[in-house]
Amino acid sequence: MAEVRLVDVQKYYGPFLAIPDQNLTVHDGEFLVLLGPSGCGKTTTMRMIAGLEEITKGDLLIGDERVNDKPPKDRDIAMVFQNYGLYPHMTVEQNMAYPLKLRGMDKAAQKARVQEIADKVELGALLKRRPSELSGGQRQRVALARAIVRTPSIFLMDEPLSNLDAKLRVTMRAELKHLHHELGITTVYVTHDQMEAMTLASRIAVMNEGRIVQLDTPQKIYSEPADLFVAGFIGSPSMNLIEGAVTNGVFEAPGVNLSVSVGDRDGVVLGIRPEDIELADGNGAISGPIYAMELTGDATLITIRHGTTIVCARGPATYNSQINATCHLKAREGAKLHIFDKTSGQRIEQ
Amino acid sequence: MRDRTLQYVLLIPAFLIVLATTLYPLGFSLATAFLDWDLRKSPRPGEFVGLDNFGHAVTESGFQNSLWVTTIFVVISVVLTVVLAMALALLLRRTGGLHTFTRIILILPFAMSPALIGVSYRFMFNPEFGVLAKGAAAIFPALEGTPWLANPDLAMGILIATDVWHWTPYMTFMCLGGLASVPRETEEAARMDGASTLRIIWEIVLPQMKGVIAVAAVLKTIFALKMFDQVVTLTGGGPGSSTETLAFFIHKVGFKWFDMGYASALAWILTIIMMAISIWYVRLIITDKKMATA
Amino acid sequence: MSKTVLWWLERLLLLVVSTIVLFPIAWMFLTAFKTPIDAYSVSLVFTPTLQNFVTVFSDPWNLGSMVMNSVIVAGVTVLISVPCASLAAYAFSRFKMRGRKFLFFLVLSTQFIPAIVIVLPFFLMFRQLGLLDTRIALIIVNLAIVTPFVIWMIKGFIDAIPRDSEEAAMIDGASRLRVIKDIVMPMAAPGILTSSIFCFILTWNEFLFSLILTRRDAVTLPIGLVNFRTERGDLWELMSAAGVMITVPIFIMALLIQKHFTRGMTAGAVK
Repeated sequence: MAEVRLVDVQKYYGPFLAIPDQNLTVHDGEFLVLLGPSGCGKTTTMRMIAGLEEITKGDLLIGDERVNDKPPKDRDIAMVFQNYGLYPHMTVEQNMAYPLKLRGMDKAAQKARVQEIADKVELGALLKRRPSELSGGQRQRVALARAIVRTPSIFLMDEPLSNLDAKLRVTMRAELKHLHHELGITTVYVTHDQMEAMTLASRIAVMNEGRIVQLDTPQKIYSEPADLFVAGFIGSPSMNLIEGAVTNGVFEAPGVNLSVSVGDRDGVVLGIRPEDIELADGNGAISGPIYAMELTGDATLITIRHGTTIVCARGPATYNSQINATCHLKAREGAKLHIFDKTSGQRIEQ
Repeated sequence: MRDRTLQYVLLIPAFLIVLATTLYPLGFSLATAFLDWDLRKSPRPGEFVGLDNFGHAVTESGFQNSLWVTTIFVVISVVLTVVLAMALALLLRRTGGLHTFTRIILILPFAMSPALIGVSYRFMFNPEFGVLAKGAAAIFPALEGTPWLANPDLAMGILIATDVWHWTPYMTFMCLGGLASVPRETEEAARMDGASTLRIIWEIVLPQMKGVIAVAAVLKTIFALKMFDQVVTLTGGGPGSSTETLAFFIHKVGFKWFDMGYASALAWILTIIMMAISIWYVRLIITDKKMATA
Repeated sequence: MSKTVLWWLERLLLLVVSTIVLFPIAWMFLTAFKTPIDAYSVSLVFTPTLQNFVTVFSDPWNLGSMVMNSVIVAGVTVLISVPCASLAAYAFSRFKMRGRKFLFFLVLSTQFIPAIVIVLPFFLMFRQLGLLDTRIALIIVNLAIVTPFVIWMIKGFIDAIPRDSEEAAMIDGASRLRVIKDIVMPMAAPGILTSSIFCFILTWNEFLFSLILTRRDAVTLPIGLVNFRTERGDLWELMSAAGVMITVPIFIMALLIQKHFTRGMTAGAVK
């Protein structure tokens, strides 16, 4: 059990500044997800915690101890890799026992512990196999089992589900969540998949260009994105963003008039999620020709061209029309409207 | 141990070997190249003679002959080997029983001792009882009694043949490796566009193989410049001095004439030629990104 | 041209290639089992005999001692160069140390130094040290040729191993040396074996060093061939028998690691 703290951590690759002044505290026992597009520095951040990348400047603390100069083996962490990182020349049992062997545990105790964990993650029948004889899901399970076998104080997971097919990913996600609940070990989890982040995290740190742009609970990140990047990144389909101005408490853009509780100002961007837009009868506020209709099962995503912008709405599954036919949309009663400053991208509180 | 220390520690044993067995002798022979050191006169090195040994090379006919012989040998054997290897790789790239069989036996010439190759070709071209000499005479009676290895041009031809026989397999494997990294999709796309097989090879496959072919050619040039073993066992440099390659000539100067100073100077001339080519080669493999990921 | 014609043409070409490759080897093997009289005819019909092998192993040829020399020289060269080269290859593959490019370039380029340049000074040194005509001398010189090559080849194999497993082991609690011993070396084992055999073959076939540095005691097999060139002329049937002795072990090794062998040599050469 431990807390992880990054204090003014910087990472340079040669002259290239990958991580500028990172400050982050991972609370004891929490499940923190580092979320962001590829190249945003989330994996680098995790690898610095693991000790696989050197920290150029700043302090990394695990518990109360500065561990910058400690090799990975002395940090009491376990990690699950994107490509599993199994030992191909060892059996499942040897893979799982390896961390225990390195700690000098005696043979009998090793065997008992491996058996216990194997049963927990349903690997009991596969102990004698080699990784090459396992399916992707089974390999993932071995990687996980090897990580939990010695009860580390911190878990690191680097996109552990990204190599699995969509269905298995959902199952494993639930398993991970259950496991975290059961073991209560501080976990740092890297992913670019917002769905994974939303479902698993106690808190999410959204990263962009090496910086953490928002660190909060999934609910907050979804309902109050801190800036335009988070607004566009979280949610599928993405939040609609419409440029305009606010006059007398009304957001105005061509064809759009919505009351907001923000003082008058120019150069703002209004954000509204597709599920907050509904069909309007007759001439609604937002109208234009239909660009695409996508049935998702429980709903139809309707995308229309409104002037130069594109607006997406979540309509009923029964919706039926044609491409290029005119469609009218309006904001739902009580819709959540987000206002951002166009230049800084920052959220304007209402 | 910290990685920062360890990384150098790991290099030490290998570097001691390279230092002691390559760099030191290299320096030693450079120093010798500036001395008058004739082992027939004295076991000890003679006086410093500056660039005399190098100057001697410029005017000496034996060296000039070997330079000419080596050039002919290198040019012909490199062109033949690379062209044949590329053609063979294209032929072998598909799967099939005969393809696999051929691919497996191709290893044999490369694993065979070059000295032995020289011996076996010498045997096969013996005018009285050589199987190839006899076979040629059976098909073309005019060739009966041709003194294959006693004719300067034919001897050179056979020497080149042994070298091509020895090296083509290696180069074929290199080309096959290169072909494997040519994405199938580009060929399939061209086929969908209606290109014939020959056009696909010429316009789609070969342009993507440029890097591999360049590397193969340079590598083969380096190997050809070192050619020595077969000269000894096949022709002995003859008839006359018509197949005396540079390496063979240096050996003759050093170990028949025992002129260590001159031999060292010649060896350094060869080294400089080879280093120039290998620097070019290393550039090729470092700059060619595709080769790096292949 | 129709599809069938092309199909047959392709097979015909392959047969021609196979014949060109196999014929000289086959002819040597046949000759090795011929009596001297048969050897001097091109006939394929003959009564096979093992007499040539008996002859080459007895006085005055004594091929046995040459086999011994070849085995020891090639074996010891492999035993010294491969472990050293493996460590260096790992360092080159995994660490971005200062001067890495220069050092690697240095190693690469020594491979292209003509052997004759190296052997000249060694001849002079060994003469002074009284090491001429010893196996030690041959091993030392062979190391010069083989080591850079093996570093290069093994580096190719290690580069191809994903780092994930190594990093996993470091996090699981292994030190760097432990990682090399427990994870990297077992994973690179096929590559290291291939490189060892490659190195063995190079040393086994080596001719120039043996020609210059040995006379009687430390003579290796390829030089043994030259001995059959006597005043009475070339003794082809004995040369062939000796040729078979040189070739068979190498062919078996090469075929055993056939798959890795071809990959290894292209990996070594291309990367």
